[in-house]
Amino acid sequence: MTAKHAVEIAEKAVEAGGTLHSSAFASFNRVASVRFGKNSITQNQDVGSLSVTLTVGDGSRKASVSFEDTSPDSMARAASKARALMEASPPDPEYMPPPEEGQVYPFINDAMDPEAAECPVQRRIEAVRGLIDTADGFGLEAGGICSNLHSVIAHASSTGNLASHERTSVTLSFTMDRGSASSFRQLHHESWGAIPWREASEQVAREALANTDQKDAEPGEYTIIFEPQAVADILPFLAWSMDARRADEGLTVFSGMQGKQVSGARFTLRSDPDGPAKGTPFDSNGVPSGYSVWIRNGTLENLPCDRYWAARTGRQPLFIPDCLEMKGDAGSTRDLILGTKRGILVRRLWYIRFVDQKTLVLTGMTRDGVFMIRDGRTVEPLRDFRWNWRPLELFGRIEALGSAERKSYAFVPPVAVGGVKFPCV
Amino acid sequence: MMKKAAQRAIEILESLGVSYGDARAETVMTERMVFRNGRLEQGIVRESAGLGVRAIVGGAWGFGASTGFGLESVDAAARRAFDIAVAASGGTVKRLAPLAPQRGLYRGPLEKDPFSVSSGEKMALLEMVSREAMKDKRIKECYAWLWFENRKRVYASTEGSLTETDLTFSEPFLMATAVSGGDAQSRSLQDGARIAGWEWIEKCDMPGWAERVRDEALEKVLAPESPEGVMDLLLDGIHLSLTMHESVGHPTESDRVLGWESNMAGRSFLDVGDQRSAVYGSHFVNFLADNTLPYGLASWGWDDEGVPGQKWHLVRNGVFQEFGTVRETGPLVGRTYSRGCCRAMDYASFPINRQPNFILEPGPDGVTPEDLLKDIKLGVMIEGRGSFSIDQRRLNFQFGGDRFQLVRNGRIAGPLKKVIYRSQTPRFWGSCDGIADARWLRTMGVLNCGKGEPAQSARMTHGASWARFRNVNVGGGK
Repeated sequence: MTAKHAVEIAEKAVEAGGTLHSSAFASFNRVASVRFGKNSITQNQDVGSLSVTLTVGDGSRKASVSFEDTSPDSMARAASKARALMEASPPDPEYMPPPEEGQVYPFINDAMDPEAAECPVQRRIEAVRGLIDTADGFGLEAGGICSNLHSVIAHASSTGNLASHERTSVTLSFTMDRGSASSFRQLHHESWGAIPWREASEQVAREALANTDQKDAEPGEYTIIFEPQAVADILPFLAWSMDARRADEGLTVFSGMQGKQVSGARFTLRSDPDGPAKGTPFDSNGVPSGYSVWIRNGTLENLPCDRYWAARTGRQPLFIPDCLEMKGDAGSTRDLILGTKRGILVRRLWYIRFVDQKTLVLTGMTRDGVFMIRDGRTVEPLRDFRWNWRPLELFGRIEALGSAERKSYAFVPPVAVGGVKFPCV
Repeated sequence: MMKKAAQRAIEILESLGVSYGDARAETVMTERMVFRNGRLEQGIVRESAGLGVRAIVGGAWGFGASTGFGLESVDAAARRAFDIAVAASGGTVKRLAPLAPQRGLYRGPLEKDPFSVSSGEKMALLEMVSREAMKDKRIKECYAWLWFENRKRVYASTEGSLTETDLTFSEPFLMATAVSGGDAQSRSLQDGARIAGWEWIEKCDMPGWAERVRDEALEKVLAPESPEGVMDLLLDGIHLSLTMHESVGHPTESDRVLGWESNMAGRSFLDVGDQRSAVYGSHFVNFLADNTLPYGLASWGWDDEGVPGQKWHLVRNGVFQEFGTVRETGPLVGRTYSRGCCRAMDYASFPINRQPNFILEPGPDGVTPEDLLKDIKLGVMIEGRGSFSIDQRRLNFQFGGDRFQLVRNGRIAGPLKKVIYRSQTPRFWGSCDGIADARWLRTMGVLNCGKGEPAQSARMTHGASWARFRNVNVGGGK
């Protein structure tokens, strides 16, 4: 599938729509992956799929149909179903036509690597067998997935907009463990060449072995150092809480807070689709993405806002374009540890859920590595623990930040947070 | 067309000399309508058709898929499954639990086809219940939706199986959120989906629930916050469906015990040797897996490798019995058979070990929730599902709920909000000392159980009668 072909499909779908307003979003994904567990390959797949969503509107009502078969007959049948559903729908008091002609969509540099777009099976097998050999050599069990994605999306509308975007990704996500001792890594990039799996596999094996004989931490107050993976684990819950309309309706922690301090001065959260964490240039409605600062130095600057609510409240339509950046500083996790007298290092967070959306309380567990820090050194592994935290308060007590690094959709630093009470429930 | 496509894929795999192969042809038709605050936010129909092909070559799996059933794409899917299996071959020999060839057609229960009910009638219902739920101005958000799906499958294998399945799923949902005094609290209809038709929507009584979610969301937002301390819990079946799903369903999946999920969903606190010996709970606790429960979301006739739906005890009289298995994991956990727990999200997904339907078996006849309540000095009654989190070995958990009432000296003493409780799996189930009888059994159909890499969602049904638990840690998390 090429971007040109995806655009042609979206245009044909709009033509089939045949209503005053039609817009289409075509999405092709080829996902080729090798999965492994207990030092053995357990799954191996290579699957391509195309899906088209056509939305039709008559100026006061709208409805959508999603389909996979792009033959002319199938498109006509699908469009007919969408029109029938639209005609049965009540008038929409918030009806919005597709974005006007002439939208300018950002170009995302280096989003696609031609080799990764071919999804070469030998690359996946080589990396997985290498990881398994390393784990085996250290007496550990490895599990995880090596996945290669080639994605093409396209948008077309009866108002004259056309857009397409092509991207690739290679993700190697793996755990090595023995009993309760474990460590984890996720490597993610647009290209195979930027996946340092050999170095990472040895590091993870050594980290797992250092995680044996875990103890419970004494109750008290600690500085907690979150590795970038743990920061990336928690940030989506902030993002999911950010919505201008729900805030205006009194439903979230951000109600009445735009322009006000919601966290600490060292906390800045933004999105840049053409930044180091590659995002998407447009959403499924054809709204262009762009650089947005959500929280700047602890002050809530912007909230994602759909086009209807933006028009009604005088805001800009904004959305989070599948990428988040938390501003960092200089130095590594190791540098943060060196500067910590009494603390706890947390590598990964797991099963995070909202406890209370209005006050933004989250719960979760630690996973794959917790260590006691004394006088600038990690001195002993700790057992995983449950926590209930308010992330905006946590990021209000940042003592130090390291330099940001890529963690899948996010570009995030290691973070040292002071004054955290333990146990954390 | 589906049968021909599946059979053609099998012929190709046989000609390529695979040691095992299967093919699943599937068509899916979905209709979904979502109202937010009385406005149709989303009306969408979806059509999908395709074939998933699995092959074992040289001890390795390969999986490919085709959109549609055209000859060219079916051939390509089978060829791709073979080719990538060859690329990974040379690993451990795959041994599947034996299975006699299966043949037949299974149709799930369906009284009134939801696709025969007009879209207008469905939307009128959603508008009406939204209006009712929002009659009080303090209700600031109301979600009401209906979702229907028809899923037809043909499964064929190189071992001679050929089965057909025709299932219709229906789900109603309604939630109201009240805002008052700087707080926001919700209440919802949570019985979930069933393999059923429009009759399930009628049985759920959305109009009746519209009044309940409104009144109980208001009651909740105005209620005092949870007490803290060690106290008793009286939990309803909808609430327990989630506690069971997380602390029983997942740790008893065989692939987790074998380490195949160590990177994502996690492992289990159970070991292979714990079968028929590990104490899981008190003698009141019996978990019955049942993939023949007619309306249960995991009752497909056969699973995605042709194994018939079965009924067995996960836990009997408090003792763990055996894992839910697939054909590959059965022999690895000491069984000569599969329990039929192999299911894929869709034709384009590799089928994996999933939870079965299961229930906490009800208590003896004549036991009512009131009988359980009267022996509680200090505790909380919880209805419905709320916040949930558990560690990757499925031991250390924390749950919330949807409706809370304080219990003092055997009586309900008023509503509460922001209640959470924490425990560890065997300790929690070991503290169960009473379960109401079968009249109080309620089930919840889960549509979105996430597992696997690449991530897949799966469906299953869990349920229980009201049950009592002693001395549980309640509160905190503020």
